[in-house]
Amino acid sequence: MYNYTEYDRDFLKSRVAEFRDQTERRLSGELDEEEYKQLRLRNGLYLQRQAYMLRVAIPYGMLSSVQMKKLAHIARVYDKGYGHITTRQNIQYNWPELEQVPDILAELADVDMHAIQTSGNCIRNTTTDPLAGAIGDEVDDPRPWCELIRQWSTLHPEFNWLPRKFKIAVTGALSDRAAIQVHDIGLRLVRNEAGASGFEVLVGGGLGRTPYIGQVIHEFLPTQHLLTYLAAILRVYNLEGRRDNLYKARIKILVNALGIDTFREKVDQQWARSRDTDDTFTAEQFSALKAQFPTAPLLGTLQTTVELDNGSHKGPDQMFSNPLFNQWYQTNTRPHRDSGRRIVYLSLKAPGVPAGDITADQMDKVAELAERFSESEIRSTHEQNLVLAHVPVDDLFKLWSELKAVRLATPNLGKLTDMIVCPGLDYCSLANAGTLEIHDQIYQRFDDLDYLHELGDVSIKISGCMNACGHHHVGDIGILGVDKGGVEWYQLTIGGHAGNKAALGQRLGKAIAKSDVADAIGHLLEAYIAVREPEESFHDTVMRLGTTPFKEKVYATAA
Amino acid sequence: MPLLRNGHLVTDNPWIRLEDDVPTTSPAANAATVDAPLLVSMTRFLELQAHTNSGVSGVFLSPEDDVQLLSEHLHRIQVIVINFPKYTDGRGYSQARMLREQFHFAGELRASGDVRPDQLLFMARAGIDAFEFAETPDEKQIKQILARFQVNYQPSYALPVAG
Ligand code: SF4
Repeated sequence: MYNYTEYDRDFLKSRVAEFRDQTERRLSGELDEEEYKQLRLRNGLYLQRQAYMLRVAIPYGMLSSVQMKKLAHIARVYDKGYGHITTRQNIQYNWPELEQVPDILAELADVDMHAIQTSGNCIRNTTTDPLAGAIGDEVDDPRPWCELIRQWSTLHPEFNWLPRKFKIAVTGALSDRAAIQVHDIGLRLVRNEAGASGFEVLVGGGLGRTPYIGQVIHEFLPTQHLLTYLAAILRVYNLEGRRDNLYKARIKILVNALGIDTFREKVDQQWARSRDTDDTFTAEQFSALKAQFPTAPLLGTLQTTVELDNGSHKGPDQMFSNPLFNQWYQTNTRPHRDSGRRIVYLSLKAPGVPAGDITADQMDKVAELAERFSESEIRSTHEQNLVLAHVPVDDLFKLWSELKAVRLATPNLGKLTDMIVCPGLDYCSLANAGTLEIHDQIYQRFDDLDYLHELGDVSIKISGCMNACGHHHVGDIGILGVDKGGVEWYQLTIGGHAGNKAALGQRLGKAIAKSDVADAIGHLLEAYIAVREPEESFHDTVMRLGTTPFKEKVYATAA
Repeated sequence: MPLLRNGHLVTDNPWIRLEDDVPTTSPAANAATVDAPLLVSMTRFLELQAHTNSGVSGVFLSPEDDVQLLSEHLHRIQVIVINFPKYTDGRGYSQARMLREQFHFAGELRASGDVRPDQLLFMARAGIDAFEFAETPDEKQIKQILARFQVNYQPSYALPVAG
């Protein structure tokens, strides 16, 4: 992964000093809250219902084991012993004291981490495929590009005061695991017929109140033009995006108001003047970045482990004769491009735990396991889980046993209980309704693993309000909290999808009372099982039949 | 109004701002001299360009103005004032950067409106070199803010060797 240079470190030190100064001026009353708010937001510090929340950046989801240990330390010393992985691959602490935030940032800077631009109307953390550099279906590794974007967008002189927040996602694989179609800008690495690499560029996707799927603005942007082209898009948005209405300020509204063709023309006009001047980079600069993302040493074909076996290793036959291991292997691991390795997901969706939460002790253990089994590196995912991307097949059994001991081996990846859940009413001051209880209600109802496996991959995504931080629009089943005269109700949508076949869910019908949500989900699933074709996914079933069979089942019984 | 130019607060700010509803024949406009020149809106400036010898060399922009329209006339302009109606309104940064980098404007770019010390560095890096404050700011603090970052990622980006 990317190693900080002295240059990066000097920059970060200045940033910490700047924020310390700003916070001191706030505490002394020299800065008022209105002005300080904008400054703290650009450093990831929100004021929530009960306390401040600090969102720390995990650039494109990559962490070293050393960084993970620091996150554990911060959770222990400055928070209540845990952190929360977000859908944008960052980590949040829910209970820091304002006075201590500069110290937290200084500690983070010691391990080359920060909270820069994790909130505020600026370019946010760039997200990507958590399996980058490990999965077989990759055209090119997106991470060096993400790092380039990180550097370019960090305290950019022009784009730090945009009409609204701005999120970029990059994928280099055929299968989209970065939800690029629901980002302000989505980038997909592709190759043209001549074998040159470029980006397919999407613009104007996003969830929230007015969800849109991104549209193609450029089919093949040669990679050397990436930054100037991004800058041209950002500039048109910065100049023309709406600033009069918070809910109409995202780039998706501008793109859809102008139409993609007019928007593209404007970008092209800008770009014609700027493509060779601002924000360029050289091939050497990029190669230097690329060299920071080497592939894991090749292990090759499955090794015969039997002779190495000293009790801690298990040969393949032994491993797979254990049904629990087998179930976990089938569900939570994926093929690595090197057949001697396996990609392992660590589920942060154990029973009784808020989705995405991880304790300090678990963080320390994950760091240790990453050092022993996965090149000392860890990734966070959009679905709020973690990944060890390069585990030697020989070590899987050992890893599984140790993960199980710290409750990180729940075999539910992609299954119903692998829910995405925003913080909701318990933490978020914008919420209409609670989400954590809904998560628990559903989890308790569908805790039978055999049933979940029979069901196949069905995603549930829960948001506590229209802002859609839980991405409910793109869940197979989306749950949106609504407030009706002070009472919490839940609006269901079905048939959404976040990957290559990105689609927005369709509204099922009238909202459901809080106590009935799990029942309603039960009815949806019964309907699905009754009407699906063999191997047909939930999404495909809804696409084929529409919402009617589901509606009938849910409302007939509820009435 | 206190003006910060080249890192120093100066009092020398003779420009007379002529709003669009004040005619160019008014006493205010007539008071303008070589030593106390006029600032007019972009719309008016472009109208005046029809008259060859308008002599006006100062323009104040509003955030909606498309600065490309000035590109033919920049050699006649000494000062362009960029308005920040609220410090969170970032359109002026794009205007400044376009004027400097695309159209090579070499005169003074002056920020005016809601100009706050913590924004100075962004403004300076976007090409603004003079700052008009509503109240006299703390000069020491401003120096500190402007000198805070020894390194930046733009325009040299990734490089360990960048500077
Ligand atoms: S979706 Fe609404 S309730 Fe949930 S975190 Fe976002 S703003 Fe808060």
